[in-house]
Amino acid sequence: MEFDLAYLMAQGPALMRGLWLTIQVSLLSIVLSVGVGLLGAAVRVLEVPVLDRVVRAYVEFIRNTPMLAQLFFIFYGLPGIGLKLSLFWSGVLCLTLWAGAYQIENLRGGLATVGKGLREASYALGLTPWRFFHLVAAPLAIRVALPAMLNTAISLLKNSSYLQAIGLAELTYVAIDRISMDFRTIEMFAAICVIYLALVLVLSFLASRLEFRLNAPFRH
Amino acid sequence: MTLPRLLARTALATLALAAGLGAASAQALPPLPKAIQAAGLLRAGVRCDQPPYGYKDESGNFAGIETEMAIQIAAWAFGSPDRIELTCVTAENRIPQLMGRKVDILLATLGVTPERARVIDFSKPYRWGGSDMLVPKDSPIKKLDDVAGKTVVMLKGSTQAKWFEDTMPKVETLRLNTASDALQALKQGRGDAYTHDAATLVVVAAKDPSLRLVGESFAVTDAAAGLRKNDPEWMAYVDAALARMKAEGLYAKWVDKWVPADLRPFYAEAFTTAKPTAR
Repeated sequence: MEFDLAYLMAQGPALMRGLWLTIQVSLLSIVLSVGVGLLGAAVRVLEVPVLDRVVRAYVEFIRNTPMLAQLFFIFYGLPGIGLKLSLFWSGVLCLTLWAGAYQIENLRGGLATVGKGLREASYALGLTPWRFFHLVAAPLAIRVALPAMLNTAISLLKNSSYLQAIGLAELTYVAIDRISMDFRTIEMFAAICVIYLALVLVLSFLASRLEFRLNAPFRH
Repeated sequence: MTLPRLLARTALATLALAAGLGAASAQALPPLPKAIQAAGLLRAGVRCDQPPYGYKDESGNFAGIETEMAIQIAAWAFGSPDRIELTCVTAENRIPQLMGRKVDILLATLGVTPERARVIDFSKPYRWGGSDMLVPKDSPIKKLDDVAGKTVVMLKGSTQAKWFEDTMPKVETLRLNTASDALQALKQGRGDAYTHDAATLVVVAAKDPSLRLVGESFAVTDAAAGLRKNDPEWMAYVDAALARMKAEGLYAKWVDKWVPADLRPFYAEAFTTAKPTAR
């Protein structure tokens, strides 16, 4: 079968609707997962009693189980205990929990570079542990952790394609659904690969801008 | 007796019977295409979640009427029912599996549609199948038109997905990958109805008292074996094999074997009577 460009053009609107959903679900999850990462990393670094262990268990659980299993658990399992989320929010929850665990580790790695001396100095100046964290440690740590955090965000964006399995009509879902009706396998998969590649390039560009901005104090 | 052995023995017995009959009724099959002959075994795609046509039994063995058909073709082609490689295919991946040469024949609840006929060839139909809907017992949905404005769960790439898109495009659809996903989604209230082949839903409804069939037949299609385009030799062989199954009364035997007694008339009809008309 030959590559049929006209077919692909005809599927444009459907692909764009899928793309828009992929963007929404990914951006929301990226923002939320960075939030989870900051909170979790703070808990770990400040060694908050009990919570510290909870965060550790959460990170291990997410890192050591397949994301597809986590997704099915959220979508098909949680309603059994009374928590029924919509398709969209099931997807956001899954991606946020998944990426959140990695962001905790990324930020913890960044925080490890903030020397003990800075912490002692901050406490000596009368800063509370929380103020030390968000005024001194976090801004320094994020600069170091940014490349790793970008990696996680890129993985999140690509992993959003798993959400086709629960029927969320994102980009991969649209492709698979159309292929299963029209059997234009090469056209559709080529199209979504190009779209994902473009999305990741945009994301990388935005992150490199952010890195540039954050490093302003160290430039001369 | 384990199931594979049982299958093997049944097939052998059938073979012996067929050999006897073959001599008498001259049901000789055309020559096997060289490529298939060279492979030395039949690579067939069957369903694994569609009892009684194709499914895995409790011990994980391939089972069902269409699975039996595939094994029978292998037995006729190579003289042994063991010369077969069965692959689980789903509604959405079966045609790509065939076109990607992972399998040489689909016996996989495949309905004949013009869209599919563009990319693959169909054998002569061996049965027909209609569609129905499954709803919770106390659902207000009594007929097909009642789903207007509601969400219907279905499988990606199914006959029903295409039918709803063409016939009732306003209906909200939730398209999942497997029949078990779809059933679970219905039971959790993620959709108001679950539409699929009636043959599949009949089994589910019989087992689950919390669900009922709507009972209005629609999207009735012929089911046929799927082959790659432009392989007339292989097509002739498969058509002849299917005709021979019918002539030897094997379908009735397999329906008896794989379908519980109370559901048998429904399936026997699909293999033996003419296709009914419905929208």
